[in-house]
Amino acid sequence: MKKLRHLILLGLAALCATTAFAAPKKKKGELNLFAWSEYVPQAVLDGFTEETGIKVNYETYASGEEMLAKLQAGGARYDLIQPPDYVAEAMIKNDLLVPIQREKLTNYGNLLPEYLGMPHDPEQRYTVPYMVGTVGIVVNTERVKDPVLGYADLFAEKHAGRIVVLDDGRELATAALYTLGKNLNDFSDENLAAVKPVLATWFKRVKLFDSDSPKTALLNGDVDLGLVWGGEAALLWKEDKKFQYVLPAEGAHMFVDLLGIPKRAKNVENAHLFIDYILRPEVSKLISDDFPYTNPNGAARKLLSADQLANPASYPKVDRKLDTFRDLGDAAAAKIDELITDLKNAR
Amino acid sequence: MQGLPGSFPENPHARAPRLRGWLLLAPMLAWLALFVVAPAFVLLAYSFASRGALGAVEFGFSWDNYARVFDPIYLKILARSVGYAALTTVLCVLIGYPAAWFIARRPPVWRERLILLVMIPFWTSFLIRTYAWIAILKSEGLLNGLLQASGAVPRIFPEPLALLYTPTAVVIGLVYAYLPFMILPVYASAEKLDGSLVEAAHDLGAGPLRVFREVIVPLTWPGIAAGMLLVFMPALGMFAVTDLMGGARVSMIGNVIHNQFTKALNLPFGAALGVVFTLLFVLCYALLQWRGGRARPAAAPAASNS
Repeated sequence: MKKLRHLILLGLAALCATTAFAAPKKKKGELNLFAWSEYVPQAVLDGFTEETGIKVNYETYASGEEMLAKLQAGGARYDLIQPPDYVAEAMIKNDLLVPIQREKLTNYGNLLPEYLGMPHDPEQRYTVPYMVGTVGIVVNTERVKDPVLGYADLFAEKHAGRIVVLDDGRELATAALYTLGKNLNDFSDENLAAVKPVLATWFKRVKLFDSDSPKTALLNGDVDLGLVWGGEAALLWKEDKKFQYVLPAEGAHMFVDLLGIPKRAKNVENAHLFIDYILRPEVSKLISDDFPYTNPNGAARKLLSADQLANPASYPKVDRKLDTFRDLGDAAAAKIDELITDLKNAR
Repeated sequence: MQGLPGSFPENPHARAPRLRGWLLLAPMLAWLALFVVAPAFVLLAYSFASRGALGAVEFGFSWDNYARVFDPIYLKILARSVGYAALTTVLCVLIGYPAAWFIARRPPVWRERLILLVMIPFWTSFLIRTYAWIAILKSEGLLNGLLQASGAVPRIFPEPLALLYTPTAVVIGLVYAYLPFMILPVYASAEKLDGSLVEAAHDLGAGPLRVFREVIVPLTWPGIAAGMLLVFMPALGMFAVTDLMGGARVSMIGNVIHNQFTKALNLPFGAALGVVFTLLFVLCYALLQWRGGRARPAAAPAASNS
């Protein structure tokens, strides 16, 4: 028994020692960043740490929903997150974000006004745009000679087994809504019923579903066409000009990925420092170099090369106003998920 | 499977463990309690809850999630998963058993080297090995390159094989991933098998087939059973291979659970699927135990006669 007590005392001593050592570390400061995978260059994180001494813990997710799930489960506390527009809208509605103190952001003026005050955050109180993009069609023009202008051409019978699409139910259902000439944010039961046969036909012709890296199958030559994130298409174009990007004729939408501070964040001050750091033109350029989405930072765009600005997938010629996703509410999101599960497993 | 303490009540070492024993066990018990038992209860509690706003979990008591598990579409996915996992297990037995037997019958030096070869792939991340398979199977990949260089493509197959992103690719990926889990336990059983028993069976006039069926298989059964369990259950829950090599076209139950937690934000339903999945595991284990229990009496006389 004496031995046991000894052991317990030893354990307690060890515990005290580790917490004692851990405490001063915290004072130096850290930032718990929860962001998309493949979206924040290591050089940006290193530069921030070097300048401020704040350690950045970068954790990643593969979808806005995954981010929300981890955040809602509690457990981990994050200081800065990167929600897409419609997820941010839902978070604002549910009081899950802390207002941004704009007076702390000296570089806020660099942002282009067209990406501010959008429907997801009309007063721009809770979020700051990080990167913007579109979802469009990429075509390997060496293998596909006929013009592909919209969803109808992409999913044509002759392309069966040669298509990669995003593994994202809402994106696919939206494409079907556009094809039917309907509003992209209206997932009424009637519209869902209309979308179902369209998607069923498309799914038979799809070779693979991939949201993480749809460019891989295109680069490998396993597929020749795709419905992908603009940034992925931009990387393909950079690699080989045979990969051409088009915004679908039936309708295309834009997405805005934002920076926001979740409720319960511990290091709100550091989060502001990081946002302001990212808004610097030369830092924002580093992000564009690695992940060529549409940069909403006007001052950073001036630093980009002519080749970067000419990339049709990063800066597509837009002849119309692009819509954005709105928060659909839980019920509609659940219905889309059921529809996609049904269709994928129909055969 | 054998040598459970409960089965040898006369064993003098099987007394109630003293304090020192408990202390030695404590780290493992704490580990199990924290990371196995507690999460299992969390899962159970979730499975009776319901989905709240934005994927929050609202605790309560409802069987709704379990009712949904038995919706035809999910039963179909479950059945398909069982099919894939069973096929994987059968292929692993067919490939793994001869390999393990061969290794176990080598001289000790060679045995160690060959077993090392089986384990070397574990030194690399599983995902990296899966990506390597993509490089092999893709249409302009290693396999098609070899087939074309050897002239097999125009002569035997009219055009390059389109294996990647098909169910075949999923099965290849699953068999590759779990083959070592079959080889290692079978090897452990086969290595312990006394060669003189096989010789005795031959001397008593049994043909090779009969020796295999009535002596070798019963004596290596614990290894086969362990291997089957180690292959079947994880294969059932796999989701990375179906996503990466199958092109996410055909879902297995693992994909559905993963999807509920990361995309559909219905944690309670995902948890209910997880609980059913765990019960399935217990059922498989019990079945194998029962089968093992029946196989042993057949083997025991052979062992005592030697």
